[in-house]
Amino acid sequence: MFKQMKGWFALTVILSLLALGSSCGNKATNEATPETATTGTPFTPTGKEGTVTGVIAYTGAAPAPKKIDSSADPVCGQSNPNLSTEDTVVKDGKLANAFVYVKDGTTADGKKIADYTFATPTDAVALDQKGCHYVPHVLGVQVNQKVKITNSDPTQHNIHPTPKSNPEWNQTQPNGAPPIEKTFARAEVLVPVKCNQHPWMKSYIGVVKHPFFAVSAEDGTFTIKGVPAGTYTVAAWFEKGGPNGTEKTMQVTVPASGSGKADFAFGEAATATSRPGGLQMMPAIEVPMIARH
Amino acid sequence: MSSIKNRKSAIKNMQRGLHRFALLVAGATFFLIIAGALVTSHDAGLATEDWPLSNGQVFPEMVGNLFWEHGHRMVATTVGLLTIGLVILLYRWVFLRFVKRLLGMQGHTSLHPGEPPQWLRRLGLIALVGVIVQGLLGGLTVKLMLPLWVSTAHATLAQLFFCTTVALAVFTSKSWVQYDLTVEEKGTLPIRYVCAAASATILLQLVLGATLRHSATWDKHLPTELLVAHIVGAIAVALILATATFLILRRHPEVKFLTRPATIAMALVGLQLLLGVAAYLTRLKSPDDPQPLHPMVGITVAHVACGALVFATTIVMTLRASRALRSAPSWVTGEVAASRGI
Repeated sequence: MFKQMKGWFALTVILSLLALGSSCGNKATNEATPETATTGTPFTPTGKEGTVTGVIAYTGAAPAPKKIDSSADPVCGQSNPNLSTEDTVVKDGKLANAFVYVKDGTTADGKKIADYTFATPTDAVALDQKGCHYVPHVLGVQVNQKVKITNSDPTQHNIHPTPKSNPEWNQTQPNGAPPIEKTFARAEVLVPVKCNQHPWMKSYIGVVKHPFFAVSAEDGTFTIKGVPAGTYTVAAWFEKGGPNGTEKTMQVTVPASGSGKADFAFGEAATATSRPGGLQMMPAIEVPMIARH
Repeated sequence: MSSIKNRKSAIKNMQRGLHRFALLVAGATFFLIIAGALVTSHDAGLATEDWPLSNGQVFPEMVGNLFWEHGHRMVATTVGLLTIGLVILLYRWVFLRFVKRLLGMQGHTSLHPGEPPQWLRRLGLIALVGVIVQGLLGGLTVKLMLPLWVSTAHATLAQLFFCTTVALAVFTSKSWVQYDLTVEEKGTLPIRYVCAAASATILLQLVLGATLRHSATWDKHLPTELLVAHIVGAIAVALILATATFLILRRHPEVKFLTRPATIAMALVGLQLLLGVAAYLTRLKSPDDPQPLHPMVGITVAHVACGALVFATTIVMTLRASRALRSAPSWVTGEVAASRGI
């Protein structure tokens, strides 16, 4: 009797594992739970929107880019012989690839920016894999806006975002494969993206509920357009300085049809209101979270 | 007289073949543990979303991290096949008897001298179930995108499977089968219990190590709480293993059957502690590296491999202590009797 029970127990364990394995494909994990907070006042531009402009400075000596050993995949070495890290791209004391966004604030007519809803853009944001690195290194999208991922390399990649609030997914994209289109259903600044084929490949996607975001250019400048007049907390995120990057904030007033200034500084002597580990939900615009699985 | 000699020689050859095959399985499993550790250190576990195929292929182009992940799968498949082979070897007499019975031939009820006992055959079956479950856990961890509990279970079962294959090699070895010098336990603290406690402590330490390793990829810092727990575990392992070795060397210095694994285990623990410090130092720096670098990968993998060897040697020591410090199992005496034609 006892022997039979042991046999059945072993069989049950094996079958359970088999069933679990077969039912846990990518399909389930790819299903993003839709954004639930669709209530709110639809944002309508008045034509008197302003801009937030600024420069991201880097104080102190910037670390030199580190050379990447791509010998594990010869194609990478051939297509991009000078492959190096892109975490701190500094030119003339100005920092590129900082993600700047309106984190919180109130418009001139007294409404919280979080109380507005914004139409999802129909055009997709491009993320390419070229020369065995992600291009661009940092990008921003609105919630539910499509990210179109392409592979321009003659080798295979796999795209693996590791978000905290959105569902994680991992998809192989062989060379010549059609683009992959994905969306993120929840605001999250920022979603790290890696490639498990080539561990040096990293990208960051800032997912926000509104269109008020920008990424600093090579000269450190950025412009956030179409911002309604009001007073806002503007945040700038830089991927180094903490396990999940560093975020700094400042108050900016945007006049009607005018421009607000938001200059940030990162690096050794940087001050301001820094908060290491900025890869978190935007508290002001956050919607109630639903468990991922 | 000559027939007894021939029979003895046949048994010897058969045992030697089984033992060598068990050693091959254990060696291949050790290599598989190294291959698995290389996957973790390179963060290659999700180099393909597929399982059991890689990118829909049996033999994909093994570039980048797919080399480590698919290589691990190939080694794992080999170990699985070898384990099936070992089970066939263990059960071949049972199978022959079954065929004889089916064909109505004579001799289907008589046991072959030197035939592995039922408990040893069952241990082989446990190993087979273990390797199947291990494969499924490997698939599960890919499909679920490396959840900590599945990855840890996969790493822990790897060590338990290795320990089972080592035990099979021990039980089929000449030194085990022919050992007949049972020594009585001396002192108040039985060595067998200390050895068993050392094995259990090492297993717990391996679980902690696996959890620590899988809780952060190379570009993230290791969680401090787990790190501290693993360091405390290392101290506990060193102390209990030192106690076991000390007791063996002091009470039974003449019994090489015990002193040899004890000395090796102690030497391996010393090496493991050094590798642990080195692994920590290289791992501390790795989040600032552009990719998993060779020193970090090499040292952490060596640390995992050495941990497996410490566990295996302690298991050998524990089994031998149970063999040498109390009466021999009945199947061995039975076999000796059979070999003498009694």
